[in-house]
Amino acid sequence: MARSSVQSTIVFEVLRRLTTAAGITIILSVVAVIVSAVVAGPFTLVNAIVTGGMWALLAVGLSLVFGVMNIPNFAHGEFFMVGTLVSYLVFTPLHKYLRQNPSSVLSTVAPFAGIFAALLVGALLGVVVEKLIFFQLRRRSREQWVMNSFLLTVGLSVVMINGHQLLWGTNFKGIPRYWDVKPIDLFGVNISMDRAVALGLAVVTIAIFWFFLMRTRTGRAIRAVAQDETGAQMVGIDLNRIQVLTMALSSALAAMAGASLLFMFPSYPTVGLKPLYVAWYVVILVGLGNVAGATIGGFLVALLQTLTSYFIGVGWEDVVPTALIILILLFKPSGLFGSEVKGVWEQ
Amino acid sequence: MTAILEAKDIVKRFGGLVAVNRVSLTVNEGEIFGLIGPNGAGKTTFLNSIAGTFKPNAGVVRFLGRETTGFRSDVMCKLGMSRTFQISQPFPKLTALENVMVSAVFGNERGAVRDPEAWSRQMLDFVEFPMPPDTRADNLNTVQLKRLDLARALASKPKLLLLDELAAGLTTGELDDLMAIIRKIRDSGVTIVMVEHIMRVIMGLCDRIVVIHYGEKIAEGTPEEVAHDPKVAEAYLGEKYIL
Repeated sequence: MARSSVQSTIVFEVLRRLTTAAGITIILSVVAVIVSAVVAGPFTLVNAIVTGGMWALLAVGLSLVFGVMNIPNFAHGEFFMVGTLVSYLVFTPLHKYLRQNPSSVLSTVAPFAGIFAALLVGALLGVVVEKLIFFQLRRRSREQWVMNSFLLTVGLSVVMINGHQLLWGTNFKGIPRYWDVKPIDLFGVNISMDRAVALGLAVVTIAIFWFFLMRTRTGRAIRAVAQDETGAQMVGIDLNRIQVLTMALSSALAAMAGASLLFMFPSYPTVGLKPLYVAWYVVILVGLGNVAGATIGGFLVALLQTLTSYFIGVGWEDVVPTALIILILLFKPSGLFGSEVKGVWEQ
Repeated sequence: MTAILEAKDIVKRFGGLVAVNRVSLTVNEGEIFGLIGPNGAGKTTFLNSIAGTFKPNAGVVRFLGRETTGFRSDVMCKLGMSRTFQISQPFPKLTALENVMVSAVFGNERGAVRDPEAWSRQMLDFVEFPMPPDTRADNLNTVQLKRLDLARALASKPKLLLLDELAAGLTTGELDDLMAIIRKIRDSGVTIVMVEHIMRVIMGLCDRIVVIHYGEKIAEGTPEEVAHDPKVAEAYLGEKYIL
């Protein structure tokens, strides 16, 4: 008796969740996935998942910085650019060396060296940016913080783009592929090794990141700061440390995304703009500061883009998500997962 | 009696406005120390200068025998100085229990509290928190939030507790309960410094009082002495009868 009533409440709760904006979106996307897989072939799906992982990495970082530090970071794409550049600068000489002295072990590991270097440089750059820019602004004035920090990030973006142009020029610095091996066959679709690794890296990173945020002491401190800065500091959390860490994490994730997508995005000064826009689509779509939603949102936007470019035409894939964002902001300004999913995540 | 907190010639300026001007005081271990004064006298600013919310422009703060001038509030919390705010600062999306647990975990050295959940429950019981511990903080009213603040401040095992207008907005019956709890906290070995407007609470609880007016200390002594100080009466002017 009691058990059946518990079960019926669970059923009711699931039904209620499914009929919210978030639930409907997820159902619709699952339907879209099935339809597209049947109509267009499974490769659309694979494409969507691979790019989705990367958008998720970018959006998670963007969302975290907004949630914890209240900075709308419009220089986020430039960390992506730095990632592509660092990986290129590390990987190309290694690759050249390997041409002359072939070694199967080293050629498997070399791309990871590039990606790892990008991760480190990204984190370091995050620390420098926080210490040199946001910390200084915070110390001087907290008035109009969101607007002022926004302007700073735009300025930073311009400086980084032109810095790249000054030092490395505007030409494309790309590679055809990281791994010179046969593509993997999955459900009759050929996935290049590069894509498979990019997806694997994204999934593993997001999993580690999630564990870090939910289960570790420092992760809990980050979430406390996101809820109330003064309160967090009052109970003994070192605010400066958390802010440096958040910025470092966010930019490291962006740089890593850039590095592992170098085969798709050759490095040039403004390569970060498109990823920046996409990350913002995702963040607005799911609600500002919602880290869990950003993960799902990354895959949703990638799916939307893949379907648009397949069914409507290449070149439309930025139009449809933007139009969707206008609709969402009109009817649900808090974002798709504004309240529901976030509540679940925070339990 | 040994001094737990010494503040010497604290000055805090906001631009041209001198909010606190050369205020000195000494708080002894185990006492309840009151800080009173008319609105805008600089009581909260003084508290903030001690607790690390901001740096004083001049002066020296000594806490537990070591100099702590200008230490950040998270450092002060770890050293054993907790506080509550005039306006509560809970984590809105956590439950009451979780709010206290955050303090139990981060306010103490790593691993100092073996079972944060049990310890936090104990703290909520101690302040007689009137709601179920799993109530979300954004569903609490002012009275409940003040109790939560108190529990949270206690969870970091403070040696000195700063209370900023904890009694503001409470009814007479609620005041008596709160006073009993504050006495209980003192009896458990925590020294208390309280900023308060309600004279009944101040007169009923405090061992010693300092009166601040326009940022300057104008009187110090037992409640009796302060109440009969002509300078204090003058500061409060029409409010003389309250004392």
